Amino acid sequence: MLTYIVRRLVTAALILLGASFLVYLLTAASGDPLAEFRASNAPNRDQLMAARSNLLDLDTPAPIRYFKWLAGASQCLIPFAGTCDLGRNTANQPITAALGHALIQTLTLVTAATVLAILVGITLGIITALRQYSTLDYGVTFMAFLFFSLPIFWVAVLLKEFGAIGFNNFLRNPEIPLPAAIGIGAALGLVAAIIAGGDPKRRALIGGVVFAVVTAVLIYFSVTLWFKTPGLGPVVIGIAGVGLAYAVTLLTAGLKNRKALQSALIAVGVGLVAYFAIQPLLNQATFLMIVLLAIATVLVGVAIGYLVGGYDRGQSMRSAAITSFLVGFLIVLDRFMQAWPTYFDNSRVRGRPIATIGASTPNIEGDFWVVSLDSFTHLILPTSALVLISLAGYTRFTRASMLEIMNMDYIRTARAKGLSERTVVMRHAFRNALIPIATIVAFDIGGLIGGAVITETVFSVRGMGFLFLDGIQHVDPNPVMGVFICVAITAMVFNLIADLAYSALDPRVRVKA
Amino acid sequence: MRFGRISKAVGVAAVAALALSACAGNTGTTPTSAAAGKQGGNATVVEVNAFSSFNQGSADGNSDINGNISYITHSGFFYVDDKLNVVHNDKFGKYEKVSDDPLTVKYTVNEGVKWSDGEAIDAGDLLLSWAANSGYYDDADADAKTGTTYFTTAADTSGLNLTEFPEVGDDGRSITLKYAKPFADWEIAFDMDLPAHVVAKKGGLADEKALIDLLKKTPRGDAKAPKVNAELKKVADFWNHGFDTKTLPSDPSLYLSSGPYIVKSVEQDASMTLVKNKDYTWGPEAHLDEITIRYIGSAPAAVQALKNGEADVIAPQPSADTLEQLKALQSQGMTTESFGELAYDHLDLNFSGPFKDKKVREAFMKTVPRQDIVDKIVKKLDPNAKPLDSELFLPSQAKYADSVKNNGSANYASVDIAGAKELLAGATPEIKIMYNKDNPNRVDAFSLIRESATKAGFKIVDGGLGASDWSGTLGDGSYDATIFGWINSGVGVSGVPQIFKSTGGSNFNGFKSAEADKLMDELIVTTDKGKQDDLTAQIDKQIWDEAYGVPLFQTVGVAAFSDRITGVKSSPAQRGVWWNVWDWQVK
Repeated sequence: MLTYIVRRLVTAALILLGASFLVYLLTAASGDPLAEFRASNAPNRDQLMAARSNLLDLDTPAPIRYFKWLAGASQCLIPFAGTCDLGRNTANQPITAALGHALIQTLTLVTAATVLAILVGITLGIITALRQYSTLDYGVTFMAFLFFSLPIFWVAVLLKEFGAIGFNNFLRNPEIPLPAAIGIGAALGLVAAIIAGGDPKRRALIGGVVFAVVTAVLIYFSVTLWFKTPGLGPVVIGIAGVGLAYAVTLLTAGLKNRKALQSALIAVGVGLVAYFAIQPLLNQATFLMIVLLAIATVLVGVAIGYLVGGYDRGQSMRSAAITSFLVGFLIVLDRFMQAWPTYFDNSRVRGRPIATIGASTPNIEGDFWVVSLDSFTHLILPTSALVLISLAGYTRFTRASMLEIMNMDYIRTARAKGLSERTVVMRHAFRNALIPIATIVAFDIGGLIGGAVITETVFSVRGMGFLFLDGIQHVDPNPVMGVFICVAITAMVFNLIADLAYSALDPRVRVKA
Repeated sequence: MRFGRISKAVGVAAVAALALSACAGNTGTTPTSAAAGKQGGNATVVEVNAFSSFNQGSADGNSDINGNISYITHSGFFYVDDKLNVVHNDKFGKYEKVSDDPLTVKYTVNEGVKWSDGEAIDAGDLLLSWAANSGYYDDADADAKTGTTYFTTAADTSGLNLTEFPEVGDDGRSITLKYAKPFADWEIAFDMDLPAHVVAKKGGLADEKALIDLLKKTPRGDAKAPKVNAELKKVADFWNHGFDTKTLPSDPSLYLSSGPYIVKSVEQDASMTLVKNKDYTWGPEAHLDEITIRYIGSAPAAVQALKNGEADVIAPQPSADTLEQLKALQSQGMTTESFGELAYDHLDLNFSGPFKDKKVREAFMKTVPRQDIVDKIVKKLDPNAKPLDSELFLPSQAKYADSVKNNGSANYASVDIAGAKELLAGATPEIKIMYNKDNPNRVDAFSLIRESATKAGFKIVDGGLGASDWSGTLGDGSYDATIFGWINSGVGVSGVPQIFKSTGGSNFNGFKSAEADKLMDELIVTTDKGKQDDLTAQIDKQIWDEAYGVPLFQTVGVAAFSDRITGVKSSPAQRGVWWNVWDWQVK
């Protein structure tokens, strides 16, 4: 195994070296770095040209310049020496500094989107596989391909127009006219009826209930101007919590395991008590505190499961832990909603919360909740756009993988020996279906940081993509090389991880060292 | 600080995403009261590029955005208004021509004018500006690759290079520049630059006095006998690169202000916030308390930001789509202004090949459908656009109408195929036109010209080249005519010989007129504005008489601002909407 990894790393280093040489030469040859001055009629044209060619060291032929660059770049291999030199861009900023900033910008933009796309995509994939050729399956497939084929810049512009500008206009006077409420209710009811499955009577019933609830909620929102002062309150958290407890137990332990269900419900009760107890603490929240609270919440859940016990303690602990985490999330969500009016009336926000550009409102002032809400209102549109278009891949892949597994002999065996459908799906099929997906996810994370160029442009975030384009525009290899090195290294590392993970997950392909 | 926290957040991204807390940062400062009325309030302005340097005068820092920041954080002896007039700022100081022969100009800074750290602005600062922008100490020889260029300034040094070491006077508040020969653009040749006491200290000298002494004792650079002055080199190196930064420097001396605003905070590659410089009394008084600048590269994103209230003033790259979107916003109280920029497109004819014969050039010029080109390309951006009738004046300048009347452009006002055929007398010359085929406007202009010229018997060859290639072939004789853009300097006449003199560095088509050369020689030593205009008008006529080619149209710029802000006025000059930043008010 070790020799395999070493062999891979050595090959990777050689590939990196060769590829970097190639990319450097291609960038240097991609255009005329002095083009902007050639047609200039400035009296000091020659002076400006000389300064630029001096800056880019154009007197040195590109292959030799590459080795100069390599000499600086190779110092990055010495850890903690601080001698890393990737050159400077045309604005005279060290590439290392530019990269550090761009990397954070890009990661802020794409991380949440990637995680969400993976979670939602895999879930949808499994559900559609279990309901193969149902209306739901066709519906999801259609939507997935529709979004997949939409150009991202167009989706982004539409999202800005309706999700930001339109929604902000709506927030000025958040009253939902009755026909609109009924319309939205009917649409969602129809969707629910399609998703529900089963015989027509059941579908109609579920559709009707959803229609009634949604319409009622919307009317309630409109009458109370809920969008101006949103909130969940303990009642909603309680009801949602019980629902979550049932759902989580269903997935992790099965409803037949009464002890697990009990633990989950106790966790909801504890959560409701905590809701009141914790409010003063939350007023002084910091990011670290929220993380610690999240960990504490999970631990409390584990403890509840442990104390309730039962014939399978692990299952109780798991369902209680997940439930308490989710209830905790609801409490935090509620606190965010409490902070909404403050954020909304902030003099920098001026009642138009959803933003179309950047990652934060300049000079925003406020506590943790306001500042986090500000990030959230800035990230929601790019994240939605990215999730929409990257959903298709994960959905389809999971569906295919899951279908393949479900037709395997060992699944039939599992069913034949009398296992419940939940155990068959969750324990036997799902885990094995995840093996090929793990590889895909690893690849995707590898390509993550270089992959959102257009989204960055549309939402005016100057990340890796911008750095790359800027370098190309100025025919300046330094920023291009910086981006290339980062992207290439992550891609290679994650490819290696994907291979290793595959062999770790699937004993059949384990490499004989 | 801010991003340090974000990076931590990224580390636990999964939780962060769920908990809606991907970012935290809470640097508190006193909030600006959104005061009603004329004084106070804030505005957000969109710029295309990100800020990168507090020294916009250096070759590397010389970008629009750096220039704009410098403009609103620095005062000077003059500024250029929206009618391209040079306006003297007498509250800052005064400058006047003391003598015509030799041309001598005296600059005096008023008493009480100071940097935001309290240090008075005086002759030391003026001397540094002169040293940096005159190239006085340079002894570099570009061909032999010897010698040193100390200050790599982006400014044209040809004017100040004519001056001797300035004389300091008036208790160290004035300097007097004596030119070796008259210099036409003396009025805009020199202005305040960076704080000398900061450059001196950071450049390794004891204080401003040491810098003045160093500048005094160092002789003019001689390219024939290059000699490196290590002390000066260190100072110059700091001037060249020491002010380059994308974040707010921890040392406030790097962003001292002498103008209406001072930088308060910088968010790398995202935004910059400036607040009123409270000491500032030596110039037009600003109204807004705070100005935030955000960088948005794409024009549609800028328009949507304006629409969503995230921006108050935008000046995006105009296109028909952008303009249509902006027009739709007018119903919401937003204002859109289209205006002619300094840049203009033109058709140049080579004075060689088939165009060696003046008659052929004239014939070709008669076929150019200038009105059609304007109708098709510019009208959708600016309904009032007209063909440009002068290579030297812009319609916003007073002398334009006068010059156009006499320069002979009327002969080419409309397409005259019959006249062209007559001049050609049956000949069918083959003409290769070079242009940037990645620029749709140039492609359209080419198509229209081809269609029209073919009617007169010209055989047009499409010599269009890609965006990164076309400019490299300028002047290499591989084409007969070319369509591209110049930038009129707007103020000053030094740019004229660069293009139109037979030896001009940007004279790509081999235009040669002994008469015009003589006039230009006279022009660049004429210091009187009225006489300059007369001479320029004569040159304008020469250019048309010699059938140089035709100017096509002025490029259109667009600026839009929200209903919150009044007083914004677009200008074709370099500083765009920023030129009257002090007049901006909230409603």
